[in-house]
Amino acid sequence: MDSGLVAALARAVPTGGLITAPEALRTYECDGLTGHRVVPSAVVLPESTDQVAACVSACHQARVPFVARGAGTGLSGGALPVADGVVICLTRMRAILDVDIQGQRVTVQPGVANLQVSDAVRANGHYYAPDPSSQSVCTIGGNVAENSGGAHCLKYGFTTTHVVGVTLVTPDGRVTTLGGAVADAPGYDLLGVVVGSEGTLGIVTEVILNIIPIPETVRTMLCGFASMSAAGLAVSAIIAEGITPAAIEMMDRLAIEAVEAAVHADYPRCQAVLLVELDGPRAECASTFARVEEICRQSEAQEIRVAADASQRAMMWRGRRAAFAAMGRISPDYYVQDGVIPRGRLAPVLDGIAALEQEYDLRVANVFHAGDGNLHPLVLYTGSHHGEGDRALELAGRILDLCLSEGGSITGEHGVGSDKACAMPKMFSEGALEVFTRVRAAFDPDGVCNPGKVLPTPRLCGEVPGPYRPHPLEIAGVATRM
Amino acid sequence: MSTATAIDVLPFAALVGEEHALAARADDTVQGVSPSLVVEPADEAEVSAVMREASRQRLTVVVRGGGTTLAWGTPPRRCELLLSTRRLDRLVEHQPGDLICVAGAGMTLAALQAHLGRAQGHRQRLMLDPPVPPEVATLGGIVATGCSGPLRTRYGTVRDLLIGVRFVLADGTVGHAGGKVVKNVAGYDIGKLLTGSLGTLAVITQVALRLHPAAPDSRVVLLDDSTPEALAARVQGLARLPVTPSCVDVIWPDRTCAVRVDSSAEGAERQVQIIAARVGGRILGEGEAAALNSSLAQRPWMGDGVVAGIAAPRSRLAELIRLAGRHADEVVVRGLIGVAEARLGADPAPITALRNGVEQLGGHLVLHRSPLPLRDLVWPAAAGAAVELMRSVKHALDPQGVLAPGRHLGGI
Repeated sequence: MDSGLVAALARAVPTGGLITAPEALRTYECDGLTGHRVVPSAVVLPESTDQVAACVSACHQARVPFVARGAGTGLSGGALPVADGVVICLTRMRAILDVDIQGQRVTVQPGVANLQVSDAVRANGHYYAPDPSSQSVCTIGGNVAENSGGAHCLKYGFTTTHVVGVTLVTPDGRVTTLGGAVADAPGYDLLGVVVGSEGTLGIVTEVILNIIPIPETVRTMLCGFASMSAAGLAVSAIIAEGITPAAIEMMDRLAIEAVEAAVHADYPRCQAVLLVELDGPRAECASTFARVEEICRQSEAQEIRVAADASQRAMMWRGRRAAFAAMGRISPDYYVQDGVIPRGRLAPVLDGIAALEQEYDLRVANVFHAGDGNLHPLVLYTGSHHGEGDRALELAGRILDLCLSEGGSITGEHGVGSDKACAMPKMFSEGALEVFTRVRAAFDPDGVCNPGKVLPTPRLCGEVPGPYRPHPLEIAGVATRM
Repeated sequence: MSTATAIDVLPFAALVGEEHALAARADDTVQGVSPSLVVEPADEAEVSAVMREASRQRLTVVVRGGGTTLAWGTPPRRCELLLSTRRLDRLVEHQPGDLICVAGAGMTLAALQAHLGRAQGHRQRLMLDPPVPPEVATLGGIVATGCSGPLRTRYGTVRDLLIGVRFVLADGTVGHAGGKVVKNVAGYDIGKLLTGSLGTLAVITQVALRLHPAAPDSRVVLLDDSTPEALAARVQGLARLPVTPSCVDVIWPDRTCAVRVDSSAEGAERQVQIIAARVGGRILGEGEAAALNSSLAQRPWMGDGVVAGIAAPRSRLAELIRLAGRHADEVVVRGLIGVAEARLGADPAPITALRNGVEQLGGHLVLHRSPLPLRDLVWPAAAGAAVELMRSVKHALDPQGVLAPGRHLGGI
């Protein structure tokens, strides 16, 4: 790397904030998509907006690409470094800058972990709604980049619903604010485009979040079914009835087996379970909850358990949250897919996935955010068996084709990143991709901000990624995949 | 005014048919700017062809849906061609089991709600009640202005309900973003970019929208108090109650606040009882509530006055009511979310005073409906890197400035 740029980066951050030693750089070579690895030339750890701007300016002047990174828990390679590029890691920017309970706003730096926001306002009866399963470690900056979801976004919306303003360092190093604590900022809704842009339109250095009151009551039930399609029909019936639960999660027999082996959550032994949670005013919740129970019975639920208290509820969720990590109990390797289908099409898509299992002679464990049609099939394989990793990847790709053929999406919450950039033309026309490219160029005409992500490039789409390897955070038991 | 650009009409007539390439009339005028031609394409392919031809002839184009909000924004610098989305009025699909629908941009809000109401066994609605006549206002126009009504308190604006969009750029490029599933993070959220863009970035041709079940019952509590401070205190007290009101609208100078709960019969009854017990107010009878509901969205829009959209920090509610009460003839404040609409006279002085006051509170004011002489007051002052980015986005999507140049913030 150019020595002038290294010197400029060193000046931009405090002592100890620049990493260039090869062994130390390896820490940053991948995010949660561990099959893709690139060692960057340098990593900087800025501590303020001005320092981020100085780092970005230095990179921009040298026309060296840079990639923003938070906790590195993303599952689509959005924070994958660029060879010969710089990683701007925001984990030292972890201050909660302002808490305004009456105005229901919290202002944070991007390195603050998702759960810390709720922790900061819980005593005042509020919380931050988006809850990706890695919420104890994943950062708000990463959530903004990915427009993260979580089990409860069915009712409460995604990150984009709850981010009302950001401070953005543009790809040429200018600092601006988009949106703000007050609604309806005049002008184009650039905030709406930046949230979910996967770090390709600039680096967010401050975020104003909307917080909401903790619901008066929460009711949770676990229902066992004799088949996945019976559970799928129950989900469709609940949604079609006009009920909006806080969450509806679904797991199949293979996933239940793995979870039982891992965390002994005492799930019913059956072909499918639904975890349904309702929350809100007591006045509303009780009658709706009874109606959901009735629907599940009519859909031939074999067993219905209602959580009697918070600890039973926590146990039910523990099984669900452990699902991805638990796959290690039943398979040496697995690939996490993230696709979306219209909610009424669960049953036929499940049949389609079952047919693919036969065709590829591989097992797929199904873990879904069923309420909003977001599927997370886990394709199980043994990496040491010749060719099985490639077959697993191909099968995972076929599941996306299935989602698209039903009118769905190639990603519901993990993002496109480097993982699915080459799948974008399956979902978007040439014209649509052209529009995305033009919008990106409006922010980043020199193509230095997280290049190679989101949009397909010929170079990118010629390469084949390696197989999945567990992320260090997973091995340490800190983060799970969901 | 700029000199009129000569239009070669024949290519447009060939593209959409002579009967849909019409000489403009007096009532086609857009804020004092008279187009020469009104073109009514039948589908997205025709929109694309029309835009390609307009760009080739270097014409400027304003998009018109129902024409109810054509006066929003500043007057376009030029407009030779009015593109009407009137014929893009088809319901593409309604999936009741998935609570979504897809419709042409030219479909009216009333037509959509009527379709949804006819679906057997379902009572679904698009939870939008903007202050425009629903039998005229189109879905595309509602997205392009981002206008909303009392339901915003619970369901958000069209920004929150739009899950997919199809559109045509000035050069004819057909794009799309989002899709028809409620959860989706693939690609940039162009739908949000187009929401409120006043037709300056693209012609919206089709929208996919999230629906909600219509609640079986609805009850209204009317709070009242004599001072803004006392009324605001009651409203803010609501935020701490275990209730989920659909709208919380402070009406001044009436000194009242309408709180509506839409839920099951039992849920609605229990919630209004909680509200009446904890913050006071009177639970309205059915007839009284229906009369209030039907007028709420229209309230500050009645008559011909200037209408300003205001946003301020939610915690400054009392000051906002007092300020608007002093300068405006009437204001409706969505009490829990810090947004308001105020009606004023055509005198610039109170408008400027209200704007200054709102900005001191940390908010902003935009004129939605205003007569031409007030054109310099429509937008607040625009400067800084954010506006430069907006210009870059406009330039990237419409480099020749074909679509309604000058209508948006900062002359964009």
